[in-house]
Amino acid sequence: MSHEQLARLAGELDEVEVVHNTPKFPIPGTRAEKRAERTVALWFVISALSGLAFLVAFIWWPWEYVNVGEPGYTIYSLYTPVIGFTFGFSILALGIAVIQAVKKLFPDEVSVQQRHDGPSDEVDRRTVIAQLADAGRSTTLGRRKLIIRSAGLAATVVGIGTGVAALGGIVRNPWAEGDEAPLWHTGWRSENGETVYLRTDTGILSEIARVRPEDMEPGSMMTVFPYRESERGDETALLHAQRASDAPVMLIRLRPGTVVNARPGQEDFNYGDFYAWSKVCTHVGCPTSLYQAQDNRILCPCHQSQFLATEDARPVFGPAARPLPQLPITVNDEGYFVAQSDFVEPVGPAFWERPKTT
Amino acid sequence: MTENPEGADSAAQNPPPGGRPEQDAGRRSRPHGKMHRRIAGALAIGLSLVTVGFLYTALAPQPQVAEAQPDAALIAKGEQLYNNTCISCHGANLQGEQDRGPSLIGVGDAAVYFQVSSGRMPMARQEAQAARKPPLPIFDPETAEGRANLEALGAYIQANGGGPVTPAERGEALRGDDPARGGTLYRLNCASCHNFTGVGGALSSGKYAPALAPASESQIYTAMQTGPQNMPRFSDQQLTPEEKRDIIAYIKSVNETNNPGGYSLLGLGPTAEGVFVFVVVMSGLVGFAIWLGAKS
Amino acid sequence: MSSITTPTSSPGGGSSKAAEALDQLDQRFHPAAGLRKQFNKVFPTHWSFMLGEVALYSFIILLLSGTYLALFFDPSMEEIVYNGPYDPLRGVHMSRAYESALEISFEVRGGLFMRQVHHWAALLFVASMIIHMFRVFFTGAFRKPRETNWVIGIVLILLGTFEGFTGYSLPDDLLSGVGLRIASGITLTVPVMGTWVHWALFGGEFPGTEIIPRLYIIHVLVLPGIILALIAVHLGLVWYQKHTQFPGPGRTENNVVGVRIMPQFAAKGGAFFAVTAGVICLVSGLFQINGIWSIGPYDASHISAGSQPDFYMLWSEGMARIFPPWEFYLFDTYTIPSAFIPTAGFLPVLFLVAAAYPAIERRFTGDDAIHNLLQRPRDVPVRTALGAMAISFYLWLVMCGFNDWIALFFHISLNATTWAGRLGLLIVPPIVYWVTYRWCLGLQKSDRAVLEHGIETGIIKRLPHGEFIEVHQPLAGVDSHGHPIPLEYQGSSVPKRMNQLGSAGEPVPGSLLSPDPADESRALAQARHEAHERELAEREERAAARRALESRSTEELSGRPDDGGRPQQPGD
Repeated sequence: MSHEQLARLAGELDEVEVVHNTPKFPIPGTRAEKRAERTVALWFVISALSGLAFLVAFIWWPWEYVNVGEPGYTIYSLYTPVIGFTFGFSILALGIAVIQAVKKLFPDEVSVQQRHDGPSDEVDRRTVIAQLADAGRSTTLGRRKLIIRSAGLAATVVGIGTGVAALGGIVRNPWAEGDEAPLWHTGWRSENGETVYLRTDTGILSEIARVRPEDMEPGSMMTVFPYRESERGDETALLHAQRASDAPVMLIRLRPGTVVNARPGQEDFNYGDFYAWSKVCTHVGCPTSLYQAQDNRILCPCHQSQFLATEDARPVFGPAARPLPQLPITVNDEGYFVAQSDFVEPVGPAFWERPKTT
Repeated sequence: MTENPEGADSAAQNPPPGGRPEQDAGRRSRPHGKMHRRIAGALAIGLSLVTVGFLYTALAPQPQVAEAQPDAALIAKGEQLYNNTCISCHGANLQGEQDRGPSLIGVGDAAVYFQVSSGRMPMARQEAQAARKPPLPIFDPETAEGRANLEALGAYIQANGGGPVTPAERGEALRGDDPARGGTLYRLNCASCHNFTGVGGALSSGKYAPALAPASESQIYTAMQTGPQNMPRFSDQQLTPEEKRDIIAYIKSVNETNNPGGYSLLGLGPTAEGVFVFVVVMSGLVGFAIWLGAKS
Repeated sequence: MSSITTPTSSPGGGSSKAAEALDQLDQRFHPAAGLRKQFNKVFPTHWSFMLGEVALYSFIILLLSGTYLALFFDPSMEEIVYNGPYDPLRGVHMSRAYESALEISFEVRGGLFMRQVHHWAALLFVASMIIHMFRVFFTGAFRKPRETNWVIGIVLILLGTFEGFTGYSLPDDLLSGVGLRIASGITLTVPVMGTWVHWALFGGEFPGTEIIPRLYIIHVLVLPGIILALIAVHLGLVWYQKHTQFPGPGRTENNVVGVRIMPQFAAKGGAFFAVTAGVICLVSGLFQINGIWSIGPYDASHISAGSQPDFYMLWSEGMARIFPPWEFYLFDTYTIPSAFIPTAGFLPVLFLVAAAYPAIERRFTGDDAIHNLLQRPRDVPVRTALGAMAISFYLWLVMCGFNDWIALFFHISLNATTWAGRLGLLIVPPIVYWVTYRWCLGLQKSDRAVLEHGIETGIIKRLPHGEFIEVHQPLAGVDSHGHPIPLEYQGSSVPKRMNQLGSAGEPVPGSLLSPDPADESRALAQARHEAHERELAEREERAAARRALESRSTEELSGRPDDGGRPQQPGD
C-alpha cells in the first residue's frame, strides 16, 4: 500500500475519518506559497535574533544593583526589562512562527472520530462482577466474619496510629500553661515586679528611648513597646519585645479638653490626656495605626474597622466587634511612662475560648 | 528621651530635656555596609556629635522668647498678606471663624509654610479635607518672591503665638544620610496612612492621606512638625530632626523610580497586578487563542 | 522520544535512520499500536478550549521558575541584619527569608526577572483556571459524564489559591506578613478547634519561628505534588472521555469533529505553549510585581494603607471588610468571633456549592443523559443567569477588597464604599440574574427570527402601495410562494450579517504592496476547488460503502446500534 493509503488506514483503525485535508498549495512554487514560507521563516529569524539579543544582554548588560541616584542606575534598572523583553519576545516569536506555519502551510483538517460513551458492554460488566464474586468465594473470606471484622479493626487502629504519628509532633496545647497561657497575657505583664516602661522604636534596636509625657504634642500618636531595665543591651530580648504580635500599643495624646467616655473599671487607665490602646485590631489582628488627630478616630487599614478614641476605642464602623483593649499607664517618679499592669483582657483577634468581656 | 546604653544610669536619672545629645553612641553599634562609613570610625562620631549639636541648636523649638527678635517690617508685610488672602476664614486676629477656619494662634511658621506652599491654603471651598493644588503665584516656593512672601506670612503668624518653625535648609539638604533607618520609622509611623511607596491612602468618611511624591522635602518636614488636618503631630522630641530627615531621605528614595523590575503599575501592589493579569495578560492570550483557532 | 515523532516520510538517509530507530524501539516496547491511537486522537477546535491550556502551561512555567528560585531561597526566620547592596534597607533587622528574597532580586543575575516570572505566572495560573471554569460552566461541559472533572477543577482552584497564598507569604515582607497575620487571626476564629489548629500550624503564638519553613515545604512539595497529580487525572479524563464540542455540521453526541493530534493539534499546542511562555516572560520583564524591597521586612507593629492580598484572595478580603460586626457569645464563656462567618465559615461553603453544582442541576432538571455536545449560554438561560449572578457576586466582593483604593482615587467616602459593598452584594446579583436571563431570551429570539425570515440586508424597499419593508436574505432559500423556508434552530451559531455569508467577497491574494499574478491565483483556486470536489466524492463513496456494510451487518451481527458501523479494512 502507498503512504497515503497506510495513513488513511491508520485513521480508520481508530475510527477516525479524515473528511477534509487538502493541501494549502496544491500547485508548488506559486508566489503565494513562497510568501507564506517566507513569513514563517521571518518569524523564526526574528525569534533567533531576539534570543541572541537576550544572550548578549544577559551576559554583558550591567546587572549588579545600583542605588537610586548613583551613576549607572538607569542602565541597571533596565536590565530586567531588557532581558525580559528579548527573552519573552524570542519565545513568543517562536510560537507565532509555528502558528503561522500551521495556518499557512498545514492542510486545513476536519476529522471525525467516533466516541464510545456510556456503560461497558454487557459481557464485560457481567464477567468483571462475576470475577470479583468468585474471588470473594474462592478465598473463603466472604463468609469469615471474624476475619473481616478483625482486619477492619487492625486497619482502623493502624490508620489512627499513622495519623497520630503524622500529626502528633505538630499538635501543641495552647492552654498548657493554664492561666499563664500566652493568649491570656502579653509582654506588658510585669515579671517579678519589675517596672515595665513604654519604649518607642527609633529605628535603632539598641537605642533605648523611654517615653515621657513631654515627648508628645497634643494630637499625636506614638507606637510603644514594653521595656524593662533588665533588657538593656540584650538585643534578643529587645527584638522579641518589639516583634511580639500582641505587644504594640498606641500611646495617644488627645487634644486638651477631649472627654473620653471610659469603660467601667477603666477610668484610671489613662494619664491625663494620654491613653494607651492596643495597636492590634480586635477583628483579625492588623495594626490599627491610622490615628486621625482631628476626629479622634482610629482606623485599621486592613478591613477599615474604625474605633472612636473618645468612646474608649469602641468600634463605630466596620467589621470589628470589640473595643481595643486599653493598657493602664501612669508616670513614675523619674517622669517616665510605665504600665500599671498587663491588659485586663486578651488582645487582638478573638477565639473560641475567649470569655465575653464587654 | 533617648539614652546611651553604656551610660545608662546617669542618663536615666537625668533625662536631658528635649533632644538626644548622646544618641550617636547607640548608633555606633549599628552595622553599616558601606566601606567609607566603616573607616570613618571615631572621626564620624566626633563629627556627628558636632553636627547633632549644631542641628539641635538650629532646629529644636526654642522658647518663644528666643524668637522674639521680630523683624517689624517683615511682620508688617506678613500681616498685609494675611489681610489680603487669609483673613476671611481665619479672622482678623487669627482667632478663627466658626465653620470656616480654625484659629492660627500657635500653629507656627511651619504650618503656614506647609499649607500655603502646597496650595492647600487658601482653600478653594469648604470640604472634608483641603486638597493639594498649585500654590498661589505670590506664594510659589519655586520663586524668590514666593519664598519671601511665605517667610513674611510665616513671621506674622509666628509672632502671634509661636509654634514650630520651618527648617532653614531646603531641598536635598533636608535628606538624612540613613534612608534605612528612615524606612523603618516610615513603616512604623507613616506607611499606615501614606502606603509603602507613598501613594497615599483613604481615611474614614472622605478624608485621605495624600500622595507624597509631589511634596517637597520642606513640605514633608513641616507636615511632620505640624500635623496638618487629620495627621498626628510629630514633635521634635517624638521624632528628632535627624529622624525626620532620614524619613525624608527614605520617602525620596522610594518615590524616585525605584523600580528595577519594570513599570510598577502605579505602585498599587496586588490590586493593580490582579486587574492587569485579567485585563491585559489573560485577554492577550485569549486573543492569541482566537487567532490560533480561527480558520485561515 | 524525538525519533518516534520524526515523520517517516522525511527524505534522504534520515528517513531510513529514523525507521531503524523506530524499529529498534518497537522491538523492545512495541508502542506502535498505542502510539497510533494517541496520534489519531481527534480534538475539536475552538478558541475557548485553549483556556485550560493556559493554566497548564502557566503551571509548567511555575514548576520551572520555582525550581530555579528554590536554588537561592532560604526559608529561615532567623533574625539577621541586612548588609546587602540595597541602601534603604541596610542595617535593618529582618528574617533570613526576606534577606534571601532580596538577594534573589538584587544579587542573582536575572533573579529579579525569574521572581517576576514566577509571580506573574502564579497570577495567570489562577486567573486562567477561573476563566476556564467559566467556559466549562456556561457551555454545560460539566454535565454527565464529566462531573468528576468539574469537581477536580474546583479542587484545583482551591489548591491553586492556597499554593499562591503560601508562595506570597514566603518572602516574609511586610505585605505578606500582614496577610499571614490575617490568616492567623482567621485560624483563631474557628470555633472549638481554632486555637489548637493555630498552635499546630504556627507552633505557638503568631508569628513564632516555624511558619515560614512550614509554608515553604507545603509550597514546594506538598501542594505542587497534589496539584500535579490532579492535573494528570484531569487531563487523563479529558483524553479518555474525549473533549466536548459545540454543535455544528456533522457533529453529533457520538462523534468528535476536529483535528488529529498529529500534526495539527500537537503543533498548535506547542505553539500556544510558546505564546503563553512568551507573554509571561514579556510581562515579567516589563512590569514589576511585588517589589518587596520597597515594602520592607515584616514587623508586627508596621502596616501600610492599601494592604491587599493577591487577587485570588481579594474576594475573601472583600467579604471580611463588608461583613457586619456580628459576634456571638455562648454562655458568656465562648466566643464565635465576628471574623469567622465571612472568612473561615463562608469560603468552604462557596467551594462546596460550586463543586456540587452539577449534581444540583441534575437534580432540578432531571437530566441524566450523557452529553458530549455543548450548549450555547443563551440556550440555557437559567444556568447562564445563575453563572452571571455568581460572577457579579464574586466581582463585587473583589471590589470590596480594594474599596480603600476606590475611595482614594474617586474621592468617595470610605464608609460609603463599605455601605455600597454591603447593599450591592445583596442587590447587584439578583439584578444581574434578571438582566442575563432576559438577555438570553432576547438572543434566542433574534436567532430564531433570522432562521425564520433571513438576515437583515439593510436594504429598504418601498412596495407599490407605499409600505416600506426591509429585504431579508433567507438562509434556506424560498418556497414556491417566495416565502423563506424556515430553518430549525440546532444549537449552533447563526449568521447575523451578510458578510458572514461571504457577501463582502475575499481580498485579492498578494502581499501588502502587490497582488499575486492573476494566472497563478486562478490556477491555485482551481486546484483547491478540484481537490475539494475530489474529497467530497471520496467521502460519498465511503459513506455508500458503509451503508452497504451496515445493512449486511444488521442481519449477521448483533452489535451496538450506535456504533455507526466500525469501518472495515479497505478491500484492496
